[in-house]
Amino acid sequence: MKITLQNLTKIFPPRKGSADKKDVYAVNDMSFEIPSGKLVGLLGPSGCGKSTTLFMLSGLEMPTSGKILFDDQDVTDLAPEKRGIGLVFQNYALYPHMTVEKNIMFPLTNMRVPKEKAKEKALDAARLVQIEELMNRKPSELSGGQQQRVAIARALVKMPNVLLLDEPLSNLDARLRLQTREEIKRIQTETGITTVFVTHDQEEAMSICDIMVVMKSGFVQQIGEPQRIYDDPANKFVANFLGTPPINLFHGTTAGGYVLIGGEAVAESPSSAAEEPKNVVVGVRPEGFVYDPEGPFTLRTDHIEVTGRDKTVISRHDASEKPLVRSIIDADIPLPEGANELRFRLKPNKVFLFDAETEERLPL
Amino acid sequence: MSRNNVNAAAAEEPAVKAHKTPFRVILFQSFKGWMFVLPAVLLMCLFTFYPIINAFVGAFKQNYLALNDTFDGWGFENFIRVLAGDTGTGGANFVQCLVNTMVFTFISVPVSTLLALLISVALNNIKRLQKFYQSVLFLPYLTNALAMGAVFATFFTVIGTRNNVETVGLVNNVLSIFGLAPANPGYIDWIGVRSPTWELWNLTIPWAKYIVVIVYEIWSGLPFKILILFSALQSVNKQYYDAAKVDGASKSTILWKITTPLISPMISYLLITGLMGGMKQYSAVVGLFGQDMGGDYQVGTMVGYIYQYVENGFTGYAFAGSLLLFAIIMVFTIINLRVSKKRVHY
Repeated sequence: MKITLQNLTKIFPPRKGSADKKDVYAVNDMSFEIPSGKLVGLLGPSGCGKSTTLFMLSGLEMPTSGKILFDDQDVTDLAPEKRGIGLVFQNYALYPHMTVEKNIMFPLTNMRVPKEKAKEKALDAARLVQIEELMNRKPSELSGGQQQRVAIARALVKMPNVLLLDEPLSNLDARLRLQTREEIKRIQTETGITTVFVTHDQEEAMSICDIMVVMKSGFVQQIGEPQRIYDDPANKFVANFLGTPPINLFHGTTAGGYVLIGGEAVAESPSSAAEEPKNVVVGVRPEGFVYDPEGPFTLRTDHIEVTGRDKTVISRHDASEKPLVRSIIDADIPLPEGANELRFRLKPNKVFLFDAETEERLPL
Repeated sequence: MSRNNVNAAAAEEPAVKAHKTPFRVILFQSFKGWMFVLPAVLLMCLFTFYPIINAFVGAFKQNYLALNDTFDGWGFENFIRVLAGDTGTGGANFVQCLVNTMVFTFISVPVSTLLALLISVALNNIKRLQKFYQSVLFLPYLTNALAMGAVFATFFTVIGTRNNVETVGLVNNVLSIFGLAPANPGYIDWIGVRSPTWELWNLTIPWAKYIVVIVYEIWSGLPFKILILFSALQSVNKQYYDAAKVDGASKSTILWKITTPLISPMISYLLITGLMGGMKQYSAVVGLFGQDMGGDYQVGTMVGYIYQYVENGFTGYAFAGSLLLFAIIMVFTIINLRVSKKRVHY
C-alpha cells in the first residue's frame, strides 16, 4: 500500500508550568511518498520527530495539520484499528497475563474471528517469525528477541496493509540486533507488506532499508536509497549523520578551481574556477583518503588503529572541526614507521563541499 | 614443624571452632539484637501471644467462671453449646451471627470491589477535577465508623411523628417518590422493631436490616479500595492501552481483558483483606443498630457474639466463638489464596 504524507505537522503545546512557553514543532510540514511494498526507515537523532511521525501513521497521534493517505484513501481522521496497520512497540507491549498464543490471537478475537480460524492464523503468524514452539509460554518466560518476534507476529496476524515498527532493535543486544534486522528484512520480503520503521542507528537503517528518510528537528533532510544518500548527501547534517566512522569535516576555502584546507590545495573544484574565494566546510569520508607520499594533504599522525581488515590512521589537523581525523586505508599498504606526518591524496567522489553558513551542499 | 603445616593448622582451627560454638555463646553474641526487639516482643507477648494461648486453653474449660476462676474440667462442651445455640444464657445465637456475617461479607466485599474498580477506571479517565473527586471519594475513610453509622441510620430510620403522621427518613422518601413504598404503612421500617423479616428454618432473616448493613458496608469500603485501585491503574504502562487500541479492542474489552488482569494482584489483595475485615465486622453494626445489634443480636456479627459473652461473664463461650471465627477466617483465606494463585498472573 502506497503511503502519502501531505504537509504533515504536529505541534505539542508547551508543558504546563514549564518556563518555556513555546510550542514544540515535533514534525514540521512534512511531505513525502512511500511506494508500496518497500521497507522504509525513518532515521534521525532523538527528538527529531521520527516516532511522532510513526504514531501519526498508526493513528495513535492526531496530526495538527496535514494529511495522511493510504493509497488514495484519506486516513487522517481514521481510528487506529480502522487503518489496517500492525504496530510493534519499542518495548513490545505484550500483554503479560496472556500466553503467546493469546497475545497473537488478540487482534483477531477483537475482529470476532471464530476461535478455530484465529488459532490457525496465529500459528501461521508464529511460523513466519519462527516461534511456534513458544505458543503456551507467558511473555515473562521469553527472551528479548523472542518477545520481539511475538510482537511482530501479533502485528502481522491481522494481515495489515502497513507494518509499523518503533525502534524495533533498540532493546536487543548487539548480536541479536544483527540477526533480527535480517529477520525483519526477510519477513518484509516474504509478506511484501509496506513496512515503516523508526531508528536512530544509521547502520541499522542503511543495512536493511529500501528507502531511508533522514530527519532532523521535525524536518525531512533527505529521502532516497541508503547508498545514494551516503554518496550524495544533501547537507552537512546528513553527511555527518551517516557512516561509521563519521565523515571528517574541515574549515576550508574554494578559490581558483581548488579546494584549500590550511593552505594546501587538497582537491580540484572546477565549479569555483570563475568565482570569488569562498569559505566552505569540506567533508571527507574516512575511506576517501589514499596514502601517497607525494599527496597534497598533510595530516599530523596521532596513532594508528589496526582492525585486521584495514588500518585507521588517527591524526590531527588545525582546520578540522572534530579533534581527530580518521582515515581508513588498506591493511596491506605499508606506512612509514614512526612518521609524525603522513601525506594523502583524496578520492574526488568522497569529498563534499558545504556552505559554511547554510550547511547546504555545494557542487565540487 | 614445617611452615606449611603451621598454615594448614591455622586455617583449620577457626572452622572447627565455628562449628562447635555453644548455644549460650550465640545467645550472648546476639544479646544486643535481643535488646533491640525486646520492647516489641514484650508488648506482643502481653497483648497478642498470651491472649491467643489463653483463648485456646480457656475454650476447653467447662463452666468456667471468670469471677472466681473456677471450672468443672476439660472438654468440648463450650463448642457444642455454642454451635447448638444452647448456651442457656438467653444471649446471642452463634448460627444466626455466623449467617449474618457471611451474608454481609460475601455480598458487600465483591460488590464494593467491583464498584471501586469501575469508579477508579472512571476517575482515571477524567482530566478535569481529578484530584478533587479523588479527595471527595476518600473522605469517608477519614470519618469515624460509629458516626457514619449513626448518620446512615437516619437515612433509613422512621424518625418520629409530625401532625400525627409518622415522618420517615431519606430512603423511604425516595421510595415513595418512585411509588415503591408498601401501601400500608407507607414506608419500610428499616431499622426499628417492626422491620420485616423472613423465617428460614429456625432462623430469622431480617432482610431490611441486611440491606441497611450491606449498603453501608459497600459505601464505607469504597474509599480505601478506590485509593488502592486508582494508584494501581496509574502505574499501568500506557503502551498496553495503545497496543490494545491498535489491536481493535473495544472499551469494555480493554477494561476486562487488559486493565483488570493487569491490576489483578491489587484486586486479589483487596478481596483477601476485605473478606478478613468483613468477617471481623462489629463497629458498623453497632453504629447502625446500637449495642444489642438490632435487638437480641438479630443482625449480630460473630465479633459482636464474642463481645456479648465476654461482657456477660461467660468467657468460655466467647473463647469457643473466637476460635471458631479464627478457623472460619483461615479456611476462607486459604481458599481465596488458592483461587488467586490461579487467577492472578505474572
